[in-house]
Amino acid sequence: MDTQTRQATAAPPTAPAGAKLLASGVERQFISGKSRVHALGPFDLRVADGEFVCLVGPSGCGKSTFLRIVNGLLPPTAGTLDLWLDEGRADTSMVFQDYGVLPWKTVLANVRFGLEMAKVPRREANERAMEWIRRIGLSGFEKAYPATLSGGMRQRVSIARALAVQPQILLMDEPFAAVDAQMRVVLQEVLLKVWEEDRRTVIFVTHSLEEALVLGDRVVVVSARPGRVVSDITVPFGRPRASDVRRTPEFAELHQNVWDVLRDEVQASLAAGTEAS
Amino acid sequence: MTQILQKPPANGRLVRREASATPERAAVRRRRRRVIEIVLGFGAPVLLFVVWQVAATSGAVNPLFFPPPTEVWKAALELVESGELFEHLWASLTRVLIGCAMGVVTGVAAGIALGASRWVRATLEPLLSALYTVPKLAIFPLLLLIFGLTDTALNVAIGMTVFFFMWVSTMAAFLAVSPGHREVAQSFQAGPWLTFRHVLFPAALPQMFIGLRMSVSVAVLMMVGVEFTQANKGIGYLIWYSWTLFQAPRMYVGIVAVALMGLLLSNAVKWVSLLVLPWARVEIEGGDRNLL
Repeated sequence: MDTQTRQATAAPPTAPAGAKLLASGVERQFISGKSRVHALGPFDLRVADGEFVCLVGPSGCGKSTFLRIVNGLLPPTAGTLDLWLDEGRADTSMVFQDYGVLPWKTVLANVRFGLEMAKVPRREANERAMEWIRRIGLSGFEKAYPATLSGGMRQRVSIARALAVQPQILLMDEPFAAVDAQMRVVLQEVLLKVWEEDRRTVIFVTHSLEEALVLGDRVVVVSARPGRVVSDITVPFGRPRASDVRRTPEFAELHQNVWDVLRDEVQASLAAGTEAS
Repeated sequence: MTQILQKPPANGRLVRREASATPERAAVRRRRRRVIEIVLGFGAPVLLFVVWQVAATSGAVNPLFFPPPTEVWKAALELVESGELFEHLWASLTRVLIGCAMGVVTGVAAGIALGASRWVRATLEPLLSALYTVPKLAIFPLLLLIFGLTDTALNVAIGMTVFFFMWVSTMAAFLAVSPGHREVAQSFQAGPWLTFRHVLFPAALPQMFIGLRMSVSVAVLMMVGVEFTQANKGIGYLIWYSWTLFQAPRMYVGIVAVALMGLLLSNAVKWVSLLVLPWARVEIEGGDRNLL
């Protein structure tokens, strides 16, 4: 079992070989009026190029806040986050929890959105969008409006839109939280298959430990608010990986071990919740 | 904040995101921004007056039509001292408030009726939509025939204008209540009244308040219009009467008074709505988002 607890030590500012992302002491506080919420950190994380990292932790532990900081939607209030990026490709793109699919655009127009923002010529944008619609399994629905699609299909639109810009770092914020359990398994398989094709760097936030273990190269357990790294587990299952890895006894054992760590954090956040109310 | 620091060895770049300011600094910055916003809000009209003053005294514009603000201020002081201004303001404000009250009560009632019942909507919507487009000033002579040369005719004219604004916004608000919220009431077997009281009406309120804000503005507009033609008191009357006597400064006093009245009424509605609907003011990370 490769379980280790990382200490919150400041990492050196130089780029470690092959690193894509390095967070050192990243913190985020929210101030509204007189109240102050310490949402995240100090948070330290190193992600290698091409690595699939899953963050799991209780609700409100700041996982999403971290993704938003990586995406540049939100500045940290302390610490630094370094990204080593190549020229000529989109930096990051995000799959949002509530899909973020624009209801007034067709499936094709939604998937094409990021390409249009990047000023890709119309013809090429259409071709690339169509290609991603095919890969994600939505062929035939190009002209449909999101309101006519199921939740699972809408989330596929959102994933295709994020992937179509070929981001160097794909950020996924509980992308499957709102779809049913069966659809979840299907979408995880779709994601694994699509990811295998080019193995880009992914940071995947989820509530589900099982999902994290099925998808990730590493699973990072985040503490109750303010979120810190409690445990950083290297997932021993090989690649390419199918989602039925979850039926092996090794999976069950690993799940149990990590769950013991995670449960304490969930209980801590529950306790904090009762104090606050 | 994102900044590109240096070229890493590979053909790429390092992007660093770090704190632009401590939370305390950010809070200070937010407060400072608020102050600047207020200064700008007041500064723009002040600047306008300064430019106007310079233009009028230097002779760039004809002071007969554009008397310098100092002249207007003098006229305003005279009107205040003689008590005329308050008399006019009071007359106009009463008309606007009575007109609004009539329009809001009838408009909301119609909006609810049409928003709640498919049959009522089918029966009355085409008719009301047609009447909506008729300028209310065009019917004003008819109102004068019916009510005589009384304040009632003026109040009703203002009320009719407000009625249509409130009708449309209320009806639209009721039709826009999400099916999910309606089903909550249905699943708990709420009757029509309880559904209305606990789900439909609260859900519709934010949009109705937006309608009310527009209503007070058009009520002021209509008030000036009807006072031009038929009144011997009121701000509209003051403007019109000053024009006929070629007293441009007094005219401007009236115009500014109307602008301020509209501003105050519209802001009053906004403040009331924020007070009455705390839930429609949702705080999100780093700022306020508002349904109002």
